[in-house]
Amino acid sequence: MVQKYTSMAYASADDLVFGKAKFPVKAGLGLEIGAGYTTPEINYAPRPQAGKSKEKLIKEYERITTDSMQRMVQIGAPSVVLETEHVEQMTNNPSWGGEVAHAQKTIMEEYHDEYGIKCALRHTPGDIREDRDFLKLRGDKYDLLMESFEQIAQNGADLLSIESMGGKEVFDYSILRNDTAGILFGIGVLGSMDMEMIWSDIADIAKKNNVVAAGDTDCAQANTAMFIAGGLLDKNLAHTIAIVARAISAGRSLCAYEAGATGPGKDCGYENTIIKSISGVPIAQEGKSSTCAHSDVMGNLVMQACDLWSNESVEYHGEFGGTSVQCWGESLAYDCSLMNVALKTGKEKGLRDLFTLSDKYRDPQGYVLAYENAYRVGQAIVKDGTDNYLRTKNAAVECCTILDEGIASGKLRLTRFETKALAKVQADLAALPDNSDQFMSDCLTKYKEEVAVFRPENYGL
Amino acid sequence: MLDLKKEDIDGILIRYNVSLEKEMTPDEAAEELYPKDELIYPIAKAIYEGEEDDVIDGLKAAIDAGKNPIALINDALMVGMGVVSQLYDEGIIFLPNVMMSADAMLDGIEYCKDQTDEVPEPKGTVVCHVAEGDVHDIGKNIVAALLRANGFDVVDLGRDCPVDEVIEAVEKEKPILVTGTALMTTTMYAFKEVNDKLLEKGIKVPFACGGGAVNQDFVSQYELGVYGEEAADAPKIAEFILASGDGIEKLREEFHKH
Ligand code: B12
Repeated sequence: MVQKYTSMAYASADDLVFGKAKFPVKAGLGLEIGAGYTTPEINYAPRPQAGKSKEKLIKEYERITTDSMQRMVQIGAPSVVLETEHVEQMTNNPSWGGEVAHAQKTIMEEYHDEYGIKCALRHTPGDIREDRDFLKLRGDKYDLLMESFEQIAQNGADLLSIESMGGKEVFDYSILRNDTAGILFGIGVLGSMDMEMIWSDIADIAKKNNVVAAGDTDCAQANTAMFIAGGLLDKNLAHTIAIVARAISAGRSLCAYEAGATGPGKDCGYENTIIKSISGVPIAQEGKSSTCAHSDVMGNLVMQACDLWSNESVEYHGEFGGTSVQCWGESLAYDCSLMNVALKTGKEKGLRDLFTLSDKYRDPQGYVLAYENAYRVGQAIVKDGTDNYLRTKNAAVECCTILDEGIASGKLRLTRFETKALAKVQADLAALPDNSDQFMSDCLTKYKEEVAVFRPENYGL
Repeated sequence: MLDLKKEDIDGILIRYNVSLEKEMTPDEAAEELYPKDELIYPIAKAIYEGEEDDVIDGLKAAIDAGKNPIALINDALMVGMGVVSQLYDEGIIFLPNVMMSADAMLDGIEYCKDQTDEVPEPKGTVVCHVAEGDVHDIGKNIVAALLRANGFDVVDLGRDCPVDEVIEAVEKEKPILVTGTALMTTTMYAFKEVNDKLLEKGIKVPFACGGGAVNQDFVSQYELGVYGEEAADAPKIAEFILASGDGIEKLREEFHKH
């Protein structure tokens, strides 16, 4: 059953802080997430040659797991989460994913037994629901995906996640054309519909196997926008549009928790501060210690309310300081140590504000995600919490208002190009209908015609 | 929450994009570049504005006034698109504008072709694809759009494209350039296979490769490889081939930046 949020978990934005969530989550071996401390979450990818056979893959993940656990113990880290994002073979052959999870968990248990280190294993199957040309969200691929979740849950994964792709076909088309309605339709409406379906089923699987339905991220859309937008000098997408897509994505990713997930949300969901403010679930984040995987313009800011702190992904290989998972894991652990000291000494709000301020004026995206602004986007969402369209539209409108205020303050300095793009989004939003049925029928007509790969039946339409 | 004073922000970060922004607005800059001919001007302007209906109206008027439809493709549509590409290269306008202009230009080309039996002189064909096993296709879509925007015929093989399909398409289309995009370290090895199979067949066409996972060192390892860092390099590589031939060494000298 899907229970929509209509109020905020926190009475004020100032209550949002790293390491503490209103609803902490117990997982794996002695770990509690969001219960007063932060924990590193190490992410990795196998070397390309390792994907050749199941045996090679399992061996690779065993090395990765041992190396990571070993380094955490060597530097005295009290807790760690490992995240395995499946390579495609592991999801398409559900038993492979299960066997990898089992192999990893066996090693983690040994470390837990020997040293008492608190730990948990997250597995993230790939969203394999597509053919070469079309999304194929329902049908046999869906069943295979659920079988993958079933297998990993039975075999040692403690936290279940996915980066699901609903709405992506319309979004991909729209984002390159500054088409506000299409961005909203792809993420806010289609994405939300798919999320409600998939997360109801994942939550059931988690419950049955006594593991945690953790959460999703709008990687396929909001992160695509963020990457197309790129750095300050890139000219493929206005950063003001990227942050509007991000604000919309909060309404979409929230659907996981409404369908039974409990957190921690996925690391690359930069929308997670907004989600935490609404739902009180713990969140994973990534930023300055995930530069091995990508560049962003808010590396410190995203630490503001994290419960798990992640490196996003790094290929497993040797570095001067050990293997890559050891080096990046160690960086994460020291970041967490600093946050945990702040928590123990009552200085967490001070440290949080330093993180936030270091990037708040760097880029419009960071400005809106700064926790007190993120909180306002959350409020806009719950105002019409039961309507996926209205609430994501509200989020977009509020995002624009926040940016306007930032510009007026003189502190957020935008290029004329960014301001113009913002004005266009605002005008587009103002022209959209006030009721979701109208929006749905307008968009169905338009995108069936314009987007050759859009198949309404993917959404039961 | 704690806040910074406005004057303190610059010591912490610099918004280089703001400090470097050109004085001229995009519309003013475009205005300076449009051709002055009063039949061509409205077409070029409509391309810049991405208004396909206005493009068609402009073309109609020009054809009624005696202009040759096929000549208009180069003299008006491509000229308008040239304005757009130049402004994009200079950082004055952004990609979505280019995409919308390209859509309008393609509509215009179709219209011109419908007005006559003549066939336009092709500029050259480029075969684009995303590596086998890889679904990340946005970069490739941008590459294809920019190539089309510059007047090249694009054969887009889509994403997750089997190596053999690339080879078949190259044999059939005889392109001046093949592009490959890969965002995963696991999929980019397909480029080597494409390279080897092309060479086996004696085809020495430049193979420009780019995308998140790909780097110059990797691409330099196979004979036909030319590394492309940003999508805007794709039309530049194609133009370079038209102007200076398809020698891989020369292309690498020009486009390998690292
Ligand atoms: C968006 C995204 C997705 C979207 C893709 C949507 C789409 N339609 O493309 C979705 C959600 C589907 C996705 C899926 C997956 N993804 Co993904 N994804 C990304 C992300 C966040 C951004 C990629 C992007 O679109 N960038 C913007 C575009 C415009 O950039 P670009 O393609 O590089 O192109 C630019 C240039 O390179 C250049 N260019 C490109 N090609 C060419 C060619 C020529 C000739 C020239 C001149 C220039 C040029 O032009 C462009 C602009 O200038 C990256 C993160 C990252 N760091 O890149 C991960 C990333 C690529 N994904 C990754 C992974 C692991 C996956 C999954 C396996 C996840 C999973 N477990 O399911 C699946 C892959 C499924 C598959 N078989 O392919 C990893 C890859 C790691 C690796 N092994 O190397 C990355 C790096 C994330 C990470 N850090 O872990 N992903």
